[in-house]
Amino acid sequence: MKIWAIATNTLRAFLRDKVLIVIFIVLICFVLLMMTPLLAYKAITTAENAGSMQALVLGIVAVVMSLLSGGGSLLAAWAGASSVATEMRSGTIQAVMARPVKRWQFLAGKYLGVLLLMGCYVPLMFGISYLLAWMGGEHIQAAPWVLIVYPIVRYAIYAAIAILLVTFMHSAVAFGIVILISVFAGLVAPKAPLTAHIPAWIRAPIYAVLPSTGLLSESRFLSITRTSLQHTTWLQHLTTLAYGLDYALVCFLFAVWSFHYRSLRRD
Amino acid sequence: MNPAVEFRNVTKVYRRRFSSQRIAALSDVSFDVHAGEVCAFLGPNGAGKTTTISILMGFFYPDSGEVRVLGYEPGDVRAKRQIGFLPENFAFYKYLDAEKLLSLHCVLAERGNGNRDAIIHDLLTKVRLEQFKGLKISKYSRGMVQRLGVAQALLGEPKLLVLDEPTSGLDPAGRKDVRELISSLRAAGNTIFLSSHILSEVEQICDRAVIIDRGKVVRAGTMNELLGSSGRVEIVVNQLPETLEAALSGWSASMERGARGVKISIAEDKKREAIESLWAAGCDVISLAPIRGSLEELFLTLVTGEGAAA
Repeated sequence: MKIWAIATNTLRAFLRDKVLIVIFIVLICFVLLMMTPLLAYKAITTAENAGSMQALVLGIVAVVMSLLSGGGSLLAAWAGASSVATEMRSGTIQAVMARPVKRWQFLAGKYLGVLLLMGCYVPLMFGISYLLAWMGGEHIQAAPWVLIVYPIVRYAIYAAIAILLVTFMHSAVAFGIVILISVFAGLVAPKAPLTAHIPAWIRAPIYAVLPSTGLLSESRFLSITRTSLQHTTWLQHLTTLAYGLDYALVCFLFAVWSFHYRSLRRD
Repeated sequence: MNPAVEFRNVTKVYRRRFSSQRIAALSDVSFDVHAGEVCAFLGPNGAGKTTTISILMGFFYPDSGEVRVLGYEPGDVRAKRQIGFLPENFAFYKYLDAEKLLSLHCVLAERGNGNRDAIIHDLLTKVRLEQFKGLKISKYSRGMVQRLGVAQALLGEPKLLVLDEPTSGLDPAGRKDVRELISSLRAAGNTIFLSSHILSEVEQICDRAVIIDRGKVVRAGTMNELLGSSGRVEIVVNQLPETLEAALSGWSASMERGARGVKISIAEDKKREAIESLWAAGCDVISLAPIRGSLEELFLTLVTGEGAAA
């Protein structure tokens, strides 16, 4: 009950956050902007140029989906870092922690609040992707649950890392480090071309330690053409999602441990 | 009976990150706050008051020493269930209104599942915010926020109230309300630990005071112990003949002539003889009162040495 009260209050704060409102407006403007070429391509499609037009439509939809997905990662990292930092900065944490609330309950409430925010974002992202594909005359082939569960687990990892880091550093630095970690994890992935020259014995342990959110990227399944849709078994889904949840849980537990020992002073 | 708050040889040192600099915020601080009393915690800015209160509330950990709050470790939820806390410069979720804020605190305080609305109504009435309950806190004045802070501190009928500058930002009427509230809480048997810079108020409402300076307790005791009799009395008479003035001077009395008469300060053991002499000389004795030190004088003496000079 206390965790839920803190979580819903955190979500309430996010929904009134000026930064988030600006991001949302920019997102809407961006989607509206991308609709124009989609509709234009659709209007000028003829029997002769249908193939090339379809490729253009698919390209636009893929770019929008990637940007929305990446934007979600940034949002999760920012929300995770700011959820705790804002309370510390404003001093509101002292009124809450003067109540019979344990430190882990406070942190769990904040984390759940971030996940609730991402739970609002993901259906929006999912809806926009479907809308754009439909406007382009295409249909997303992947199962809807994959497009909801995978990004939420991925965002849960980013948020947990951000919350862990913000327990001992400034929120802006924590946000930056989460972004660097995610970029670095992509760079040291087994088939990443940019770091192919680095020996595997160096890359492999780094890759194992960093969050392999590439595995949890819904873009693996976000296919519009059935031929490119990857076949994934239930066991593979379960293993991948369990990996993601486990990573998020470990980061969150480290955050609880670190938060337990820190001073709750106004930053 | 166990004290409500026990500090035993508490030390807290702040360490700057990436630096060897150490700042001793508290050095070997020991004091007790007894159950049912109003205890003032006084000190100049930077003396360590907020650090002490933060340790008491479990926000900070001491480097050494022992702290017990209502018999538990600071931060223990069993203790926190019985504590009401008003931080200095209270910060709220500004997007909430008073009703929603108190409702959130009711959930966090595990209070009023069935009668939450009644509890909130009572609290808001007590601090005269009932008519503003639907107004966003961001629209509140400084004084209204402070009153809301007092309301949330009272939520759950706490046994121990920790108030950091409770009258800060309040107008005279609001300060009077808080003083009366503290007096009624004391009458009901609550323990109150409050920090304030308004020493005249502290003198009126507190039973005990702990004075801290540069992280060390410089004086602690009941108000009577701290401000006890100076051993002198003040006699005010309508007039003073010159012949008697010389006689009183012989008893180490000091005299000050003013619009309302003559004030005579004299040793307590000489008061009977002095008054008899004054009456015999036809003087009208307007008042007689023991001279008691003020908390402000004591504070300034201990903290800056000014009081002693004065």
